[in-house]
Amino acid sequence: MNRVVVTGLGPVSSIGIGVSAFTDGLREGRSGISPIRSFDASGFPHRNAGEVPGFRPEALLRRIDPARWGRSGQFAAAAARLALADSGLDPATVAVDRAGVVVGTTSGESVVVEAVTAQQVEAGFGGMDPDLLRQVPAGRLAHAVSTELELAGESLTLATACSASNYAIGYAYDTLATGEADVMFAGGADSVCRWAHAGFFRLGALTADACSPFDRDRSGILTGEGGAILMLETLEHARHRGARIYAEVLGYGLNCDANHPVAPDRASIAACMRAAHRNASIKPEDVDYICAHGTGTPANDSVEAQAIFDVFGDRVPPVSSIKSMIGHTMGAASGFGAIAGTLAIAHGFLPPTINWANPDPALVGLDPVPNTARQASVRVVQNNGFAFGGNNAIVLIGAVE
Amino acid sequence: MTQTDPRMAELREIVAEVLELEPEELTETGDFAEDYQADSLRAIEILARLDKKFKIEIPQSELPQLNNLKAVYDAVVRHSAGQA
Repeated sequence: MNRVVVTGLGPVSSIGIGVSAFTDGLREGRSGISPIRSFDASGFPHRNAGEVPGFRPEALLRRIDPARWGRSGQFAAAAARLALADSGLDPATVAVDRAGVVVGTTSGESVVVEAVTAQQVEAGFGGMDPDLLRQVPAGRLAHAVSTELELAGESLTLATACSASNYAIGYAYDTLATGEADVMFAGGADSVCRWAHAGFFRLGALTADACSPFDRDRSGILTGEGGAILMLETLEHARHRGARIYAEVLGYGLNCDANHPVAPDRASIAACMRAAHRNASIKPEDVDYICAHGTGTPANDSVEAQAIFDVFGDRVPPVSSIKSMIGHTMGAASGFGAIAGTLAIAHGFLPPTINWANPDPALVGLDPVPNTARQASVRVVQNNGFAFGGNNAIVLIGAVE
Repeated sequence: MTQTDPRMAELREIVAEVLELEPEELTETGDFAEDYQADSLRAIEILARLDKKFKIEIPQSELPQLNNLKAVYDAVVRHSAGQA
């Protein structure tokens, strides 16, 4: 089995585009929340989201024409382009069929679907723009990356919702560990869209202005968007080319309890953590920091914390949620978590949970790294990702020994 | 009073449809979760249909109390007051 390392990071986020801006955003505890522009939100009681208004796909993409791809595909391709540039890899030195891509998503190209649907309602089937229809398939998220970077290895989009990026990283890890590829681009992409905003509002899970995970008075998520891609390669490949190595992917764990459409299950989340620890050959006490799923809903944060207490006992490492800063970026969420966790190891700091004011008396013993980033020596990070339906995925990242 | 209000019959129809029951199976005090195996999503669906049908706004915070037909009826009456 090959060891797998992270050598390139590509965040396209509401708190910064590119690894340097994103790192600054995490360190400063920046908020990426702003009034919604992606669709007309005036009819909704809540009107804020973590959009990336500064995203200029034409400034980042070199091969694909943004006009021919949906916003999520653009996010994925731009994030991968940034990850490649950050890695310093000369693509000409990699056999094209030894480099692949796995992209996770929740909503795929829902912005396009909504636009085509509006045309259909307005003018019937004949009113749908064929060029827009071509952009609909969610599988194009991975193809956008493959096309942009001219990769001929696997090109796979995983629709496992809010834990999809961790699924993608796990899949890429397997591909590299078993020797089926030398380089993999893995992560996720999603765009702010009307149905997610409406759906989470109707569920009572959408807050108004600020997402405050682990706070006593937390009241829900804000939807977010972006692209989060990590370039992974085998340790051997990275060393051979003299690459700067950020961290190592130690392993991952997956399970799906299918207990309830939306409610998380404490026992299965704890089981997923234990499976991830086993797969990574580590013990709970090795974990220095947990990058939480931490959506900011009363239910998630409570169940997630209880599961952490179950697994970690009286040695609970700091647990913070970057969703407080960028909102819930859905399929990209655990990709951003993996990037944040990698940066925590590389630069020795803990990203904060912003908007935090009051401890939750039900979560005594939990340190959410409130409001301000903290300097810390971080060797092992646990990156949590949980999706509706009880679809849990956890990735472990560690300093290279 | 409850029996004569035509809204009670409408409510019974709505709730029975969401809970996938025959209207006559639904009693006024039968607990949605305990007696009819409803979960929180069903409750949200009932709430959404009430808002739409009666043009009222029942706050999501009242959701946990809407656990039987009588409670739903009371909430509709309460939130319709001032609109009629």
